[in-house]
Parts: sequence; structure tokens; C-alpha cells
Amino acid sequence: MILGSFAALALLAAEPPAQGAAAHGAAEAAVSQPGPAEILMHHVVDARWGDLVIGPVNLGPTKHLLFFGVAAALVIVVIRLAMRSYQKGIPSGLGAAVEALIVFVRDDIAEKNIGHDGRKFTPLLLSFFFFILVAALFGLVPMPSYDSKTGHFSLAAVTSTGNIAVTLGLAFVSFLAQQWGGISKFGVARHFLGMVPPGMPKALLPIMIPVELIGMFTKPFALMIRLFANMLAGHMVVTTLLLLIPLMAAISTAFGIMMIPISLALGLFIMILEVLVAFIQAYIFTLLTAIFIGMYAHPAH
Amino acid sequence: MPTDPRALAYFAAGIGAGLTIMGGAAGIGRLAAAAMEGIARQPNAAGDIRGAMIVAAGLIEGVTFFSLIVTILLAIK
Repeated sequence: MILGSFAALALLAAEPPAQGAAAHGAAEAAVSQPGPAEILMHHVVDARWGDLVIGPVNLGPTKHLLFFGVAAALVIVVIRLAMRSYQKGIPSGLGAAVEALIVFVRDDIAEKNIGHDGRKFTPLLLSFFFFILVAALFGLVPMPSYDSKTGHFSLAAVTSTGNIAVTLGLAFVSFLAQQWGGISKFGVARHFLGMVPPGMPKALLPIMIPVELIGMFTKPFALMIRLFANMLAGHMVVTTLLLLIPLMAAISTAFGIMMIPISLALGLFIMILEVLVAFIQAYIFTLLTAIFIGMYAHPAH
Repeated sequence: MPTDPRALAYFAAGIGAGLTIMGGAAGIGRLAAAAMEGIARQPNAAGDIRGAMIVAAGLIEGVTFFSLIVTILLAIK
């Protein structure tokens, strides 16, 4: 997780300047008043909240980075509270709920897919699962936000996993874990040599080696895009539905008032779906990481 | 036929979104149908089938989202 944080930090520093410039350009080219696309992007895209320029990078805090830290801190706090509720080895309340999830990850995800070394990787998989879950659920809670440029108060929901730099960090840690799964058992040389199935005609080697190498990189890449797109798209949909109210109100106030129950109902439904999607995406990220680690730790061929 | 590149980009984004959802929904629909049939044949395997269905749906959606990202990029840049 520390490595992932470093990767995410470095990339978050590089991301916002590019996005800020692009959004500014688009807003200028379109209309002087922000259109719906700009408002939507303003809500889901990262925003810099402080500057700390060290050489070429700006390590200042940004919206997603802060909530990344808040989500991680919340995971630690929840787990500590759950640990405290253990009386004589039997948890109660929060501890029981957390223990159910932990046992689920350990037995159904780690041991089933990695086999007997599953216990070694369980803490990492648990970190992935809980962090992605908490970060996604955070994105459904609206926080009051103050836009100092226009002086508006508004409600914004911040999903730190909806930033590709954050999911890149997570996928990078997953990639390292997959390689470690193979290297820790076989050593560096045999891990890479063992990627190609042994009983195979030599003529296929020029095809198999690039395929395996590319596969090594596309797996975490797919993990990254899947999580990022799910989180981003889900929250964009909620924001869009709720944004329809002022949009319709701009045409006529009657439309706006009519729109309120429809938008709220649809938005609520999508939010419930998003809670489900949060659990599913956390589960899929963890499960796929475990499967990939298992593939490298126990090559079936 | 508009030739302004931004107009074409919005046009393409709309068509792209439609094609994306066609492919994704068709795939997941077939998956759900097969899962329903499997549960109907063997109700006591329902838990396993449900788990496998969710994983497969997540993977298919992952691929759908790849193309959704391309569509979004077309629409906002």
C-alpha cells in the first residue's frame, strides 16, 4: 500500500495540471457560462487544493489525494475498532461484521486461488478489498464544498478511485504482488522461464514469449481501467441525473419543479446500484489479483 | 454532413455509446440467461452459479468500460 501511495502521489501530481488546462480550454472555446458538460466534469475531476512545488512536480494536496488518505485512515480506524471488540476471542457487533468479510476474503479468495501460500497474501488482498470498498462508498456521500473562484457552496461527492492515477497505483501494487507470487517461490529466473508452458513445440516460442510478456502487463492494466471506469461512470451518472434539475429549471421553473421527484428517484436508484457496484468491484479486483498471483505461484502447466 | 471536427466528435461519441451498450448488454443478457437456466436445473448449485455469474458480469463490464472511456474522451476533448 505504501508503494501504491507513492505511485499514486507521483501521478496525481502530474495529472491535475493537464486536466486543468484542457478543461479551461474547452470551457473557453464553448460558452462563457459553464455548460452542463463543464459542470459535470468539474464535479468528478480532480482539483488542486494547495501547492507544494518541489522541482518539476507539484506535490500539493488535491481533492482525490486527500480523500484517498481519508479512506485509508477510515479503513484503519474501522479495523482497529473491530479488533477492540474482541472479548475472549469472540467478536461482537462491528467486529463480527468485519470478521465475516475477512474470513470471506481469506477462504474464498486467497486460499481457493493461491492455494496453501494464500495466507501470505491475505493481508494485501484484504487491504485492496477494504480500501476499494471504502473509497467507493465515500464517493456516494455528498460533502459540502466551497468553490473559492465563484463563491458557491455546493455538494460534491469525491471518489478517489475515480482517478486513474489512484487506480494506476493500486494496479501497480497488484502487478508487484503477482510478480512476487512467482519470484518468491521460484526465484527470478525460473519465474520468467516458467511462464511459457513446458511441453510445447519450439516453433511456437517466438509467439508465446511476447504473448506471455504482454499478458503480464495487460492484466493489471485491465484491473486499473475496470475499476477507474466503473467508479467514474457510476458517479457521473448520479451527478448527471441530479444535474438535470437545474438544467430543466433553466428552461422554465415549472419544468424544474416537475423534474425534482423524477431526478431524485432515479438518482436514488442509481446510488443504491452504486453501493452494489462498489462491493462487486472491490470483490472483482481482489479476486482477479488473487487469481493472477495463483497463476504465477502455481503454474498449472 | 458537418465537417467541424468537434461536431463529428460528438456525433461519434453518441454512436459509440450506443454500440458499446449494445455489445455489453447482449453479452451480459446471454450470461444471465445461462445462469438462470443453470439455477433452474440445479437449485442447490445456486450459490456457486451466482458467484460465477457476478464475476463474469464484472469482467464483461470491464471490457465495456474500455470503449466507454474512448467515447467519453471523444465527448469531452
